[in-house]
Amino acid sequence: MPPPAPANDESHQLLLNELDIANLHKPFRNPHWKPSQRRNKNLKQIISESARKEASVLATQANSGATTPGASFPGSTNGAQTPAEGSDRTPNLAQAAQSLSTLVLEKNARAGHLSGPAVTYTNIESAPSLNPAHQRHYCDITGLSGPYTDPKTRLRYHNKEIFGVIRSLAQGVPESYLEARGAHTILK
Amino acid sequence: MTITSVQTLQPGHLAANSSERRVEKPVPEPYLVQDFPFKGYQPPQPDGFEQSKAHADTSAIVIDNGSHLVKAGWSFDKSPRFILPPVMSRYRDRKLGRQCHFIGYDAYVDATTRGQLRYAFDPGSSVVGNWDVMEGVLDYVFLKLGVDGSNGSVDRSILMTEPIANLSYPRKMMNEILFECYGAPSVTYGIDSLFAYRYNKGTDGLVVSSSHTSTHVIPVLDSKPLLNNCSRLNWGGLQSAEYLMKLMKLKYPTFPARMTENQMEDLVQKHCYVSQDYDRELGGYLEWTGLEDRDRIIQYPFTEHVVVEKTEEELARIAERKKESGRRLQEQAAKMRLEKLVKKEQELEYWKDLQQRLASETKKEIRRVLEAEDLKDEAHLERMIRDLEKSIKRSRNRDLGIEETEEQTEEMSFPLLDIPDEQLDENGLKEKRHQRLMKSNVEARARAKAEKERAKAEKEEEERLDREKRENDFESWIAERRNNRQALLQRIKDRDRLKADLGNRKSLASQMRMKTLANLASDGPKKRRRGGDDDDFGANDEDWGVYRSVAKDEQSDDEEEEDLGELLNGVEQELLQYDPEFTENHTLAAQSDWTKSLVHAFLRGPWPFDPESQREAHQLHLNVERIRVPEVVFKPSIAGVDQAGLIEIAADIVNQRFSSTQDRSRLLKDVFLTGGNTLFSGFEERFRNEIRGFLPVEAELRVRHAADPVLDAWKGAAQWASGSDFRKSSVTRQEYLEKGSEYIKEHDLGNASL
Repeated sequence: MPPPAPANDESHQLLLNELDIANLHKPFRNPHWKPSQRRNKNLKQIISESARKEASVLATQANSGATTPGASFPGSTNGAQTPAEGSDRTPNLAQAAQSLSTLVLEKNARAGHLSGPAVTYTNIESAPSLNPAHQRHYCDITGLSGPYTDPKTRLRYHNKEIFGVIRSLAQGVPESYLEARGAHTILK
Repeated sequence: MTITSVQTLQPGHLAANSSERRVEKPVPEPYLVQDFPFKGYQPPQPDGFEQSKAHADTSAIVIDNGSHLVKAGWSFDKSPRFILPPVMSRYRDRKLGRQCHFIGYDAYVDATTRGQLRYAFDPGSSVVGNWDVMEGVLDYVFLKLGVDGSNGSVDRSILMTEPIANLSYPRKMMNEILFECYGAPSVTYGIDSLFAYRYNKGTDGLVVSSSHTSTHVIPVLDSKPLLNNCSRLNWGGLQSAEYLMKLMKLKYPTFPARMTENQMEDLVQKHCYVSQDYDRELGGYLEWTGLEDRDRIIQYPFTEHVVVEKTEEELARIAERKKESGRRLQEQAAKMRLEKLVKKEQELEYWKDLQQRLASETKKEIRRVLEAEDLKDEAHLERMIRDLEKSIKRSRNRDLGIEETEEQTEEMSFPLLDIPDEQLDENGLKEKRHQRLMKSNVEARARAKAEKERAKAEKEEEERLDREKRENDFESWIAERRNNRQALLQRIKDRDRLKADLGNRKSLASQMRMKTLANLASDGPKKRRRGGDDDDFGANDEDWGVYRSVAKDEQSDDEEEEDLGELLNGVEQELLQYDPEFTENHTLAAQSDWTKSLVHAFLRGPWPFDPESQREAHQLHLNVERIRVPEVVFKPSIAGVDQAGLIEIAADIVNQRFSSTQDRSRLLKDVFLTGGNTLFSGFEERFRNEIRGFLPVEAELRVRHAADPVLDAWKGAAQWASGSDFRKSSVTRQEYLEKGSEYIKEHDLGNASL
């Protein structure tokens, strides 16, 4: 929808001038403050940086006896991996181990180790549901109950009318329906 | 590609009474979609700063740095002075040749500023990602709070909220900005939901905070948060709005207006609610009864195409004009006919006159006259007169409106045919040939007539047999009809499928077609097998079918389509008449009626849809989404989040991480809900009912809501900043310079606790 043209250009410009804070005097700022050019990082970057740090913390925890080293930490030497590989951990490995380690940490906590590992942004993330009752299926199109699955598109559907709709969808649309449910195929 | 209703098949149980569904209620007034949230100019409030001058070392600037709204004010205020979204629009105005910064709601002022909008927080998280925007927001806050910066710094302590288990990088950056850019004397960080809990006078309990970007569960005992046992679910109001946006874009792929995140957020807040029994409510959500109340219509701005509406008068005039010209044409035609008639009558008179004259003439004279008139003989003249008479009579009849009756042609006799040729002279032979022709003509006509009669009789006979069968053996008759109908439906379906398949290059139908084409192009194996060059294509009528299967355009199928529809209509009429179980509701027309369509109810609610209307094309219908979107926090798998639901998390924390029953009961006695995402109606009740199922029978459970789930965090922070704990917990500039940016002090409401 096109934005409504300001009724009066002049008054609108006055309003803009009033709202604009770029040229206001800001005496409370340090005039010599020069922020680093590359200070903006997204969450993924920050986490992968801190994951490296975390990994070393985790390693010491794994050796502390709170958990068995082999089960809790895939990076440690357990015969299947050469020590060289184990020590040369990539952030990818750390990521892959993350959901597993979350589960393990949670299990540790349950076992009564209240003074467990340090709290980090990533390890307070809750684990996947273990309750089978929550794995109900819903129709991807309407959101109603979805007892059937179309083998071709993998979409779940409610009844045969919806099935007709699924079969009439244009190419690529079923994939975006899957994406809303997080079940789409990701090519890497 | 729009979803449209494709229902053509008849699930028997769906066939409710269609007349009942026809009872229409007027379409309710739709909800208007929200405009951009521009709030007008906010004047600065310097009185707070003046007030703080009196006790500069005990007052503090309190900022609840929320990812949805930043709230800012003084520690001695009752409520935050400024509330703004953490967004900035920064661009260079080419006309004026200068930088422009618009912060918060001001950034929504016009299309240019909206186009340059940037968010401070990394999308979908509570972590600051864009520090330029964050600085802009802080500038705005300090400006509006009237900080005069007399010694080149902010010069007041700052209390700021941060997410649970904040990462070290964002904290480092925030410290850097606050200490080095703004020169704050001391800075303290705390967790928003804990401030809210403290403000609501909680000491032992389970804090459930569902906010803009995430949902946290934090157990608190003896006023101390047990962060070791807290848990985060990556779902909040922002994700809900994004999810609704996804659903709406899929539901209305060709929606003409632009849907924005702000609008979706507004819709989630206004129309969504938490269902108490999701699966049960879902089951009947699109059912006809009560759908008027469940379906919410959202109207986007639109401009109706102006259809030039002609007035009654104009229409009448046009009709009159048409009639007039018609009449004129008719008159002309009548005049022409009359002229022709007159001419013919004159001709007739002339010929009759001639005939009479000839009667008294000699043979020779007759021949002369006839030759002059280009006639062969008297018989010819007679025939001409007869023809003219007939045509005059016919046209007279037409003018007078008399039905023409086909007069029985007198029985013709062909006497010459029986006489052998030898006995005839030249004229006779000619006449015989003529008679033979006439005879075969007459005979052919008679044959055709007989054929017609026979067909008619056959049909009558068939009908009679059919009737007999119906009367004597109704069961099998009706079964036959039903089968017939099913077969027709199947054929219609097959045809539609074939049509659809031909569009797809990879479908079986297309491949068959290509095969046929290839066979035709190369000399097919069939032909070679037969041997010889003689191509008897076309000898069999079915050969021509190949063109039908090769032709791709649907035009050739149109006649057939008509046919099938007609046939089905016929069968359905009969069934309607004789089958007691077959009612109006079972016909194909009734079955494919929009009132029966689930997809229609989903897309357009219980009202008819007019695709021409711009007003209706600019409408969104919210129905299932109203409970589907808030449900995700309880069942994250709906939206593809691979985490346990809120209830499961909370129950797990209580049941699995606390071994002492005493601790458990202390937690359960005060379950505290805060954060904007808990504002859905029914949230509290649902939480209470559902967590009950995970608890022992005797467990005492009390669930309460924050007094103000959105602002209590700021209020709690301001309250705490006025107390003595605040002084002890703040990191001074000196300490920052000595100990670095990762240094924070332990306190009961922060990320580091004793």
